[in-house]
Amino acid sequence: MTHFWKWAIAVFLVLLLAVFLVLCKMAGSPKDVYGMVRYALPHMHRGSLKVGDDAPDARLVALDGSRHFHIRERTGARPLVIIFGSYT
Amino acid sequence: MVQIYNDYKGHADFLTVYVREAHPTDEWQMKSNVKDDVCYAQPKTLAQRVAIANDFIKRFNYPIAFGIDDISNAANDAYSAWPERFYIVDEAGRIAYRGGMGPFNYNPDEVRAWLAARYGSVKHDAPASLPTTSSSTLPTT
Repeated sequence: MTHFWKWAIAVFLVLLLAVFLVLCKMAGSPKDVYGMVRYALPHMHRGSLKVGDDAPDARLVALDGSRHFHIRERTGARPLVIIFGSYT
Repeated sequence: MVQIYNDYKGHADFLTVYVREAHPTDEWQMKSNVKDDVCYAQPKTLAQRVAIANDFIKRFNYPIAFGIDDISNAANDAYSAWPERFYIVDEAGRIAYRGGMGPFNYNPDEVRAWLAARYGSVKHDAPASLPTTSSSTLPTT
């Protein structure tokens, strides 16, 4: 192996370690890094909606689990603030 | 966010949309979820999703209108909402404000600023955006 490749591999490993440490700092622990990479990143999408675009419609379920309504039914009269999230 | 709702519910409508869990027990569970006793597996059926949403409402006596995303995640996909995100839709049905992706770019203060620019600011003795008291990605204060 040439001197160049030894250095290239060393630099790559150092960068890999740096990325891992940054992710540990962001996520909290090595276990959380695994959780973030395995479960969170595949579901996080920046999306293509922009200010000025028509707001997409979607059918939602009411808390009783049986009635349905559309987001669009709630728009029109006043601005609608939509809060997306989950319990955990 | 509940404070923002209380301040501006006379001017704007608010709708909470419950989407797939961010930190379920069978995926990336956080220590804070265990500490706060918020431990649920990722719902596989709409009934499971409805049950968790109702637990949330009851626990926090949550006052904002609530809808649950279908198990196909149609709303989540349409708005790229997961794990948490804000939007404001204007009277013409267009996106007027698009918040950043949570948790790092989830900013209720931007929603307040949009509403304040349109309807005037609401002053409080205490800070308007109180720190959240739970590990939920939905706002509880």
